[in-house]
Amino acid sequence: MDIDDILAEVAVDTMPRETRDLQELTRAWVAERIAPEIMAWPGELMERVLARVGRQIELVEDQTGNMDPKTNFRLIVVQTEVERFKFLVRSFLRARLKKIDTHPFHILAKHTESDASHPLLSPAEYQYLTSHQALLAAHYGASFLSQFPNSLQRMDDTTGGISMVDKPDEDAAVFVRVLRDVGEVAIEGTDKRLDMKRGDVWVVRWSAVRGWVGSGDLEVI
Amino acid sequence: MALPLPPGLTPPEIAFICEMELVTIIPRQRLEGLELLGGPLKPLNPPQRASIPLWLALLLKRQRRANIIPPPWLSPHSLAAILKFETEDSPDAFSPPPRLPPPSSSTVVPLSSPFLPSSTADAAADALPYHWLELGSMLLEAAPDDFDDADEVRKLLRGLREVRMAKLRQGVEVLDAGGGFKMNGVGGMELGEARSFITGVVDGLRKIGKSREEARKERDRENGYSPSQDYEDDEMDMR
Repeated sequence: MDIDDILAEVAVDTMPRETRDLQELTRAWVAERIAPEIMAWPGELMERVLARVGRQIELVEDQTGNMDPKTNFRLIVVQTEVERFKFLVRSFLRARLKKIDTHPFHILAKHTESDASHPLLSPAEYQYLTSHQALLAAHYGASFLSQFPNSLQRMDDTTGGISMVDKPDEDAAVFVRVLRDVGEVAIEGTDKRLDMKRGDVWVVRWSAVRGWVGSGDLEVI
Repeated sequence: MALPLPPGLTPPEIAFICEMELVTIIPRQRLEGLELLGGPLKPLNPPQRASIPLWLALLLKRQRRANIIPPPWLSPHSLAAILKFETEDSPDAFSPPPRLPPPSSSTVVPLSSPFLPSSTADAAADALPYHWLELGSMLLEAAPDDFDDADEVRKLLRGLREVRMAKLRQGVEVLDAGGGFKMNGVGGMELGEARSFITGVVDGLRKIGKSREEARKERDRENGYSPSQDYEDDEMDMR
């Protein structure tokens, strides 16, 4: 370890919380845009980010009346950044909504299974999912399902070994970057063993690496 | 409200991420410190250099409030050396990415591009960072007057891009159903361009070989999942 390494380490550890949160939010957004499955809701991170965005918007509103050109330019900078954050948050939420809309039953089941301290969905997302599905079920029932025989009315039938519940393609290929050494990764059903070292970029099945993406050892790119 | 885009990042989204990269500027006007959402911005005092995110640097540059110092790897000399390496020394693999800082303690979230300072004035001169193509084109477009020889840089970037795209296309031959290819050194925009093709091929091949794979999975489970010993090492490097 030379002096540059030591300096770099100090720089990382003293990096402001805000910057690290931006790194985490960006990573979460990219993962949500690319991964086939929905990721656990980053509750604490979103709370911090949303609170900061709210405060910053208040600040902008307070100072908008000010006509001094210097303050004016400062406001342009602040506002540009707020817009960038708003884009990140919005795109992140919309990417999640898309997954919730595509595979509602699958995600509902996963959410129910997930740990209560780290739920898969945020309270608002859960509410959206359940009320949207209740509306849809009522609509299907009223328009055609009620005319079917009773045994054919279910929307989550699993008889005959085939589940009606759609789920995402968990084996889809994704690109990942290794953030911490994870060692050997096996791909089920094949002979592949991958030795993943920090800094590597791999094309790999989502199902083989999702655990490490969740724990922050790998990132989707 | 749900996002109508398919999985994967669009080019504007990749550029958006690239705009978070830190670059070095020489301010031409004073700007007091600001508490930004992505961390505090130190006061800008000409002619002291400062490292700020690219989006802010571009904003200041457009209003002629600052000059941008192109990163060392974006000089004709470095690019020519990297291009030579890509064509002569390593005709099949990408040139290696910049050296990583030492691993941080495990409690801290590890940093990665665009938050590693790989494009500031004191970044490494001998390696292309993840966002090389996007950053290079954005700087050439917004600040051509800050380069010594912008046309030469433009030409070299173009050359690099063509050499590397050819490698990506050649690399397609090693794709198979299992996935698992190393692609160290690939760039953000290159990945965005090749993503749907590469994942499409891997996913398509997987679906074709699905029944064979299912049979194997079952056999593995019956045997208590012991990987066979005689597997060939067909892990192909696309580096």
